[in-house]
Amino acid sequence: MKRLDHFGVTEEQLRALVAEGLRSGGDWCDLYFEDTAYHDLLLRDGEVASGGYHVDYGCGIRVLKGEKTGYAYAESTDFPSLLQAAKAAGAIACTTSSPSGQNDTTKKTGGWLPLNGAAEYYTERLPWEEAETAPFVAFLKRIEAGIRARDSRTLKVVAILSYSVSDVLMYNSLGELTADHRPLGSISVQVIFRQGDKTENNNVSRSLRTGAELIDDEVLEDLVGRAVEGIDARFEARRPKGGQMPVVMGAGASGILLHEAMGHAFEADFNRKGQSIFSDKMGRRVARKGINILDDGTLPRSRGACNYDDEGVPGQKTYMVTDGVLTSYLHDRISAGFYGVAPTGNGRRESFRYNPIPRMRATYMESGNDGTKEDLIASVTKGIYVDQFANGQVKIGEGDFTFFVKSGYLIEGGRLTMPVKDINIIGNGPQALADIKAVAGDLKVDEGTWTCGKEQSVAVSCGIPSVLIGNLTVGGE
Amino acid sequence: MITEKELDFVRRALETARNAGASHARATLSKSEEDLVATLDGEVDRVTHCADRSLSIALFADGRFGSFSTNKLDPASLEAFIAKAVETVRQVAPDPFRALPDPARCCHDALTGDELGLVDPAREALTPDERQQLALSASVHASSPGSRPDYQIVSEEGEYSDSIYETVVMDTNGTCCLHRETSFDYGVEITIESDGEKYSGYWWDASSHLTGLDAPACGREALERAVAQIGSQPAPSGRYTAVIDAERASKLVSPLLRALSAYSIQQNNSFLMDSVGRQLFPEGLTLVDLPRIPGQTCSKYFDSEGVATQDATVIGAGVVKQYFVNTYMANKMQIAPNVEDATRPKVLPWPCPGLDCAAILRRCGSGILVTDFNGGNSNPVTGDFSYGIEGFLFEDGRIVRPVSGMLMTGNFLDLWSRLLAAGDDARPCQTKLIPTLAFAEVDFSG
Repeated sequence: MKRLDHFGVTEEQLRALVAEGLRSGGDWCDLYFEDTAYHDLLLRDGEVASGGYHVDYGCGIRVLKGEKTGYAYAESTDFPSLLQAAKAAGAIACTTSSPSGQNDTTKKTGGWLPLNGAAEYYTERLPWEEAETAPFVAFLKRIEAGIRARDSRTLKVVAILSYSVSDVLMYNSLGELTADHRPLGSISVQVIFRQGDKTENNNVSRSLRTGAELIDDEVLEDLVGRAVEGIDARFEARRPKGGQMPVVMGAGASGILLHEAMGHAFEADFNRKGQSIFSDKMGRRVARKGINILDDGTLPRSRGACNYDDEGVPGQKTYMVTDGVLTSYLHDRISAGFYGVAPTGNGRRESFRYNPIPRMRATYMESGNDGTKEDLIASVTKGIYVDQFANGQVKIGEGDFTFFVKSGYLIEGGRLTMPVKDINIIGNGPQALADIKAVAGDLKVDEGTWTCGKEQSVAVSCGIPSVLIGNLTVGGE
Repeated sequence: MITEKELDFVRRALETARNAGASHARATLSKSEEDLVATLDGEVDRVTHCADRSLSIALFADGRFGSFSTNKLDPASLEAFIAKAVETVRQVAPDPFRALPDPARCCHDALTGDELGLVDPAREALTPDERQQLALSASVHASSPGSRPDYQIVSEEGEYSDSIYETVVMDTNGTCCLHRETSFDYGVEITIESDGEKYSGYWWDASSHLTGLDAPACGREALERAVAQIGSQPAPSGRYTAVIDAERASKLVSPLLRALSAYSIQQNNSFLMDSVGRQLFPEGLTLVDLPRIPGQTCSKYFDSEGVATQDATVIGAGVVKQYFVNTYMANKMQIAPNVEDATRPKVLPWPCPGLDCAAILRRCGSGILVTDFNGGNSNPVTGDFSYGIEGFLFEDGRIVRPVSGMLMTGNFLDLWSRLLAAGDDARPCQTKLIPTLAFAEVDFSG
């Protein structure tokens, strides 16, 4: 198999490594080989005068004994180094009293699954490694020129093109062998504007699992357009009076609400340990009827797309909330074994240096039937509309989540009035979910460079239709 | 330990870069090893062993620049890697400001890497069993505190680790400096349940020496922090005196340091533009960088360019004294270089030494004590910030009740202009030595 050659190992050696991992009594062993090449080009002060190239190569070996984990990795895939890592990971079996088989991780997920036999959610018409650099440089310069042509207040533009290609090979003690080839291209643009003595900034990005065909006029127009959009309002924006109020969240990036307020709390490791505020709510109503919330690894080209997760489980779509009822957590093999369900393909990791844990992919809510975004705004007497965000966070046990709003508007008498910016919003996950009053029919999945930082950094995506939440706390004066 | 063979390897990498066409180059070999034992409810849950070695190389070729890294270090892979790196550099535009630092500014006294006494040989002697005992002995479950009638412990997740990190920076001007540091760390998060509500508390400790680590105290502190939050509710929105405890106060200092980076200044991406020499902060704020304190975690003799660190006043009695200027930014902005970033920044006590959090609460009378931040961010251009917080309402210098689900919002320049006190209680295990801070008239939303 080509992938075996890539890492210089044979099937016989894979079996021997698993045998070594299990020698001390472990009941599951898996291997994760990775070869990642990462490139970046930076435009600053009008020139692309800096480039980079980074290589990360190695193999992580995990041994499970019940729900306990032993993990080690080698940065070389020569057999002695791998054998040493397998032995180190296998030591977990000597350190725990967990009875073997307590956690049933032994469910087959499809037998031999070579790359060509799997669903393919990434596109790579023009492989990054075969592409010329000159068009990338020209593309970054066109971004700057486009922004300056549209808005004379532009003071500085920084644009970064980064792309990576990861070749992954996975093998486990069921004899399942899987391989994946994962391209990821991203463009991030930061603009500083000056108007009189005031300065403002704006950041936009686009990130997709594609090849170099990402670099096209549609993406350029999208980035340039969004970079200069709403800058007048940003110069006018003020801090609102803080306090509790209804919040209309615009379609797309507002999916950060689902990621922070619900998605993390639905990750099964937090629930297995009893820490999540949703840990006793399986099968119970958590939102009004008609609301469906998914975590989806099958969206073509999405940052969250997974042909396989990092445990070799095929990519899939998981309904967490179905018609308002909590129907599934997000599982890796450990939690799936604990709960006696099939893994949901959420076992993900930053790299071979980390053991997989339950992680989101592309998390979104399906469209509703409560009209349009404008209808939702019109229904609010006094509140706030938000549509651009920087980051978010959640306290799993308490369920308190926050997200930082880059831009939005006050709603007064059903109309958008004063622009607002740079405010944090805080709420409680279960309360906010139960307090979703209306869902518009305009689902949009955002294609920005969303990265989730739960212990490890993982590429994700999020989306949502416009929604009205009855009451959240808005930061202000 | 970085061996002579590895030093030769770095020298060869520089040579290879020159042979491939680079006029100058800087190579950094980083090497680390870590053993970790995670516990769940008083049992070993995860054991990991990590060993990393990677080479970063900054290349200057034909007046152009690029930065590269790899962990494929066999000779054939390295040669191919460097050839590709030089090829990449040649495809970007020339940049006349890129250069290695003047050798006179570089560090010449980091010869063994252990000059600061940050390596504890005890690490090498630790066995897997001893590591597990260290992790388990720190568990609250192990000390059987029981649960009070008003709460029960839902989970306790602890993580003990010990590591050694080594690095050598060499360049084609002859700079060669080494750093070595061991670290012993323990952190624990305890989740409790009371009246159907969950509350969590986290605490940690770290030291470069095993004897400096007080892991058992972490479990007790984490549990106390969780229990103290039982029944927390938002306080009414309004303006309060804000006291930020030393554990979290660096959140209000880091944005100042970022804003003083020459990168930020040159890009107009800073709320501290044209600030050197100006009194932008109150006289009570003095922020210094003390990078060379022996035995202190994260002390270091050199920055990422190999430039020697030195004690510096960043903000003195409210006056901005310097930006952080690396070689590239110095050339580009035509100003004098110093170091890339603060190594071990410290806010000095004010108005008197010796104040801790309790003393500051007494001085302030009433307000909100912030013990944790929940998300939020700031605008680097304007200095506007908004953070989620939890903590306590205090009156007459004493804690009254816990608060959570609140937001603290303002602007950094305005916030710091209202500085009431800076304590003397920074924890030495932290990279940034920021004590308890108090500010008047801060907006809280609840």
